[in-house]
Amino acid sequence: MVYDVAADPTVGGKLMVTRGTGRRVREALAGLLEGLPSGGVLYVDTRGVELMDYSFADEALGILASRVASGEYGERRVVLVEEDRELLENVEASLRQRGLAMVRVEEPGGEPEVVGDVPGHLVETLREIQAAGSISNADLAARLGLNHTAMNNRATRLFKLGLIQRHKNTAAPGGRQYSYEGVS
Amino acid sequence: MSGVLTLGSLDPAFEAAGRVDGEMVVLDLKSVEFVEPAGLCGLAALLEFVIPRSSLVGVRLSGHDVPAYLERMDFFRIFGHRVETNVDVAALEERRRGNPGTLQELIRFHSEEEIPGIINRISEILENKDYRLRERAAICATLSEICANAVEHGHSPFGAYAAVQAYQHVVSGGRTRGERAGEEVIIAIADGGVGVRETLSRNPKYAEHTQTDNDALRHALKMGVSGTGEVGRGGGLAVVAQISARASGSLSLRSGSGRVTSYGDRTNSRNVPPFPGAFVRVSLPRKPASSSAGQPVGKSRKADG
Repeated sequence: MVYDVAADPTVGGKLMVTRGTGRRVREALAGLLEGLPSGGVLYVDTRGVELMDYSFADEALGILASRVASGEYGERRVVLVEEDRELLENVEASLRQRGLAMVRVEEPGGEPEVVGDVPGHLVETLREIQAAGSISNADLAARLGLNHTAMNNRATRLFKLGLIQRHKNTAAPGGRQYSYEGVS
Repeated sequence: MSGVLTLGSLDPAFEAAGRVDGEMVVLDLKSVEFVEPAGLCGLAALLEFVIPRSSLVGVRLSGHDVPAYLERMDFFRIFGHRVETNVDVAALEERRRGNPGTLQELIRFHSEEEIPGIINRISEILENKDYRLRERAAICATLSEICANAVEHGHSPFGAYAAVQAYQHVVSGGRTRGERAGEEVIIAIADGGVGVRETLSRNPKYAEHTQTDNDALRHALKMGVSGTGEVGRGGGLAVVAQISARASGSLSLRSGSGRVTSYGDRTNSRNVPPFPGAFVRVSLPRKPASSSAGQPVGKSRKADG
């Protein structure tokens, strides 16, 4: 599902300023997220927005990302649809303050990038997962030259940040094993 | 009083205002020849401070330009009925002309809900004046963040005052003709709240950063520093400092007896007479649309000489 912030006639618009405005947009986003099935992705399209101040970015997207990461929306995920432009700086600043990150695409279905606070080794892991489409922990560990536990730890961090999906494969050889896929 | 009405030029008046106890007060601004938004917001804050302490406040102005400018900036609409003045305001209203550089007249606001309306209006004005999107975003984001700060931390009896003016020359610091070449947008806001030091003091984590007003002001410019200490808070002022630095402008904060000015790469602070509440002034110089970066400036100048 795609939510176009600028086109929403009730809480959206082109000039998105203040925490109050951000809270109303976040509430609208939360309502849409809750209506998605588990594993569903909500694309938040801000490309029509001309201005987003830090207060709005933190209240609408920073707090939403923290709630996704805390598991409040189960395995539903949020992806930001935005081009690489100055407007992103406030989103980036808010997510960095919170030690969080979001997946960003230039258009729905586009190449995924990361906005926010993610260490380089996690970005590398995320890219591998996104490139593979779907990949098991063992295969991913082999590609990145890591042992299974270290691989599992990295992927768990990405999962908890809300940047990937994770599935348990009970029929995997050698018992339980996770497999991962990107969210965009 | 010098010829330019800035916040600093009102210092002696603020100092004297603290001693007013019911008597009549006359504010002599006859030597003022030029008023910038910081002086206008400072004057509004001063009047809000002194009017309740005085039986009558008189404002004395001279010439035509300054009274006409104050009228165009809505000063008399807000204060005309609250002060006694030697200016014939009705005559000024009749002769009123548009002021091409005014981006926001003196406006009083009390709550965050009023800010989106203020931003929508100034954005439209900037668009009509062919400001580029990134310039509009810089001016609007600066105004929205400092307006939000003023009403969020203010608990101010009069709310907050804001004014924004665009100039066809550089106002801040420029003394020689060369330094004054270019354009500049000045944004100013004043509130009458508890001030920055007291707001930050609510967070025990900042005890060592709130020893003086200047300590508190310097700390307030850092990312993530807020009175509540909630994660994600305290980013607005840091972002405004980045915006002004990127435009080669400046951000001045004044609260209590502190005054801090950030230029991006350096921050100056000095002790000043107490200001009741908090005051912010942001200078955003405008760069020409086609940047001259990379052109052999030195050589072309040589040909001139």
